[in-house]
Amino acid sequence: MAEYIAVVGGGIAGMETAVRLKALGLEPVLIERSESLGGHVASWHRLFPDMSHADKLIKDLEKGLEDVDVQLGAEISSLNPLRKGYSLVLTNGKVYPCRAIVLATGFSLFPAERKEEYGYGIYDHVITNRDLEGWFNGKADSRVPESPRAIGFVHCVGSRDIKAGNSQCSKVCCITAIKQAIEMKEKFPEAEVYCFYMDLRLFGKKYEDFYIKAQRDYNIHFIRGRVSEVAETIDGQVQVKAEDTLSGKPVRVRLDLLVLMAGIVCNADNQTFTQAVQMPLDDDGFFRSRDNVGAITESDRPGVFFAGACTGAKTIPETLAEARSAALNVYLYVKGLK
Amino acid sequence: MIDRFANSGFHPFVLPFLVGMIFVLTYCFFGMVRIIWELPGKDRRRFFLSLVTPRTAWKNVKDIFLNCLIHVKLWKRNPVLGYMHSSIAFGWFMIILLGHIEVMLFLPERIRFFYYPIFFNFFVAEGESTIQGSVLMFLMDFFLLIILSGIAMAIVKRFASLWFGMRRTTRLSFLDSVGLYSLWAIFPLRLLSESFTAHISGGSFLTVPMNRMFVWFFGNDMNYLPTWWAYSIALGIFMIVLPFTRYMHIPAEMLLIPLRNAGIRIIHPRKGFARVQVRSCPGCGVCIDACPMSVKKENLKDCTVYLNRQIRRGNEKRIAEISDKCLLCGKCTEVCQVGVPGPEMRLAQRSLRKYSINPHYSNIQVDPFIDAIPTGTRVLYFAGCMTHLTPGIKKSVLSLLDKAGASYSVMDPDGGLCCGRPMMMAGRDEQAREMIRLNTEIIRASGCNVLLLSCPICYRIFKEKYKLGNIRIVHHSVYFNELIHAGRLKVNREEALKLVYHDPCELGRGCGIYDEPREAVSAAGTLVEARQNHAESICCGGSLGSITLSYEKREGITRNSVDNLMAGSPDAIVTACPLCLSTFNKYADVPVKDLATVLDEKC
Repeated sequence: MAEYIAVVGGGIAGMETAVRLKALGLEPVLIERSESLGGHVASWHRLFPDMSHADKLIKDLEKGLEDVDVQLGAEISSLNPLRKGYSLVLTNGKVYPCRAIVLATGFSLFPAERKEEYGYGIYDHVITNRDLEGWFNGKADSRVPESPRAIGFVHCVGSRDIKAGNSQCSKVCCITAIKQAIEMKEKFPEAEVYCFYMDLRLFGKKYEDFYIKAQRDYNIHFIRGRVSEVAETIDGQVQVKAEDTLSGKPVRVRLDLLVLMAGIVCNADNQTFTQAVQMPLDDDGFFRSRDNVGAITESDRPGVFFAGACTGAKTIPETLAEARSAALNVYLYVKGLK
Repeated sequence: MIDRFANSGFHPFVLPFLVGMIFVLTYCFFGMVRIIWELPGKDRRRFFLSLVTPRTAWKNVKDIFLNCLIHVKLWKRNPVLGYMHSSIAFGWFMIILLGHIEVMLFLPERIRFFYYPIFFNFFVAEGESTIQGSVLMFLMDFFLLIILSGIAMAIVKRFASLWFGMRRTTRLSFLDSVGLYSLWAIFPLRLLSESFTAHISGGSFLTVPMNRMFVWFFGNDMNYLPTWWAYSIALGIFMIVLPFTRYMHIPAEMLLIPLRNAGIRIIHPRKGFARVQVRSCPGCGVCIDACPMSVKKENLKDCTVYLNRQIRRGNEKRIAEISDKCLLCGKCTEVCQVGVPGPEMRLAQRSLRKYSINPHYSNIQVDPFIDAIPTGTRVLYFAGCMTHLTPGIKKSVLSLLDKAGASYSVMDPDGGLCCGRPMMMAGRDEQAREMIRLNTEIIRASGCNVLLLSCPICYRIFKEKYKLGNIRIVHHSVYFNELIHAGRLKVNREEALKLVYHDPCELGRGCGIYDEPREAVSAAGTLVEARQNHAESICCGGSLGSITLSYEKREGITRNSVDNLMAGSPDAIVTACPLCLSTFNKYADVPVKDLATVLDEKC
């Protein structure tokens, strides 16, 4: 009987893990609950910092999956520990005896309608970062005006926000907002573009260059201060109230489009996995690594590994690197080398 | 009946009782004088006036009888505890009353010794007229038996409070324990001493057989004096410690009830009416289970019973901590048998707080606000800051007003002034008064005749503190319910839609509005009730009332409240407060909607 390696989640982390496991001569099975692969990245248009296309990344990963057993539209219906490994039953009825499991279940985007004061789902011209990427990908969106004169980006929507029950930083929104602001400025050179931020956390390669470029070459306005509330004016514009904490003054800006940078939050159903394999969930709701410095892809349970943003917010290069590391760890584990 | 001590009418064993009695009466008298003295002159006059007004005077007598002796409120809530309390209180009262009747009937000249009615059976011997007293003797034994049954229950309750429906109860202080044990001792000792002398003084179904048994057991009747001493000492101890224990609530409540009936409110945080409130707290701890914060063990000592205890002890640090932490939901007052107003007590303490920065708002100009309101406005809608933070509510309210064809204006389309309630909750009364003054000016100048509010926090302060003359102040739940009844809003009822209504603290317990929102909810779907509802609804945990509770610490409170609402497995939670809405939204598994949104969807 073939011994599988289950890879749960068909986003870039799961895809890369499966590709590498196959290359290492193991038998991965990639399980994805939706009908297509690519996860969150598949709904994105272009990626920082090189403005490369997201769909190219997905296509490249898919090429490596040609000989891999991919189960689309399937979820795990039961997960039972065996003497060595786990038995997986999928919702489509298939049963996989697995030597190891790699959890690559990723994250959820914060539901922006929960920050009701920003008016997502209530006002006509308020969208999220994902909506905007969809629009970049050519999806029609009536909320985006034809020729906006003023566009605003709100950073940290539902992240670093104790009130929203989510205290961690989503890591990627600062640079995503700058990227999207530049893209909007390229599309609408006449428009004024504002970014409302608490802090700018531009830690990655070329991020700072991006930020300087946004200010110097694109004249994007960065306002340091949290948006307190958003109102709709009679003529359908959105009015943003915030405090410019650098000048210490309240500001009011009228905008034709407001983009909310919805943050990264844990999946609500993470607990079903942790209960099935009897391991604790981290207090932020993400999976808990055995060690956050030296063993980020390993869990407390033998044969259970993590890859990507299921242990916390990550950038794409970090996710891919972790996927490879997870694949290698699985290999060492299966071969009894570690 | 024959007086056994015809010469002196005295025996030294009465001394402990006598000392205790004189002490407690003196203490209570001076305490009462002090409290009345501490009342502001206006309140004092009002109080005296209420004592001679027949209606309030009768109400005082009735309330004292029903609450202090019979414990009617407690019977309604928990019949077992009701029986326990009224058996002791009413039984004891009856024994004292019957004692006086006995003395007046048989030894009227002894009535001036006020230990005679208590120790009647010691001082008398059976005589020719005994037969007349047998009914009284029987009643004495009967009420003693009733009290003993109550005491037995109290002893069981002390060690197994859960049997009596109380999950948590207070931990007693040392003096409270002394008071408790002496109270427990009084009645068994009375039974023993009366039994020992029953062959002399006579007795009834309880004391006579016990007397026979003692004589048979001890072979003589020489043991009566130690038990009478013990009985007197137990009484003495109880009365001497009484002012320093929770049993002070017995005399304090008799002053509290007339003061409350006179309509007096807490002004000074410690003196006057507040002092009676603190002393009237029986320390039963019903508020512990009721307090929404009690879901977390760390908050158990922050409910009203402990506030009262700390005020009595003068522990300023803990008083400030407890006062600032409270959500001011008012549930403790709702379940309190005495009705000690927990939130008002805390607000009064908060007014002692010294802020280092005290902003003043005298530079705010009201004219731009007034000018923005069109003339001829009939309905003026004040959204308030919380509704501005939940724009869905505002949108629904305006849409419903349009659908009903109402002529209205928005008072704060672009943000307005604060209603003042959050400032008041933070102990910033002066700033709150400033806001009230400014808003009053705007509203009066608008010429409206209805002020519509969608936030119960605003609604409460507008109702309680604003003087707007003939302008009707109305919450949107009441207003829309009226529009539905008047046929101006046609709501398509969806039978299959199960909706649970959450009573916001400020609207329900705060303003007594429970039924109108429910009627309106029923117009849109099938109303189901939460496990605890109406006046006993559980605070959402988001209340502005608490100054110190962090968001993380509120999570457990909110989850518990949501859990309570889900008892009838509703499809959605409906509330009528923007703050409850945004608080529940974080943790509820079903949609949370404002009443206006629910109606607007079905209109």
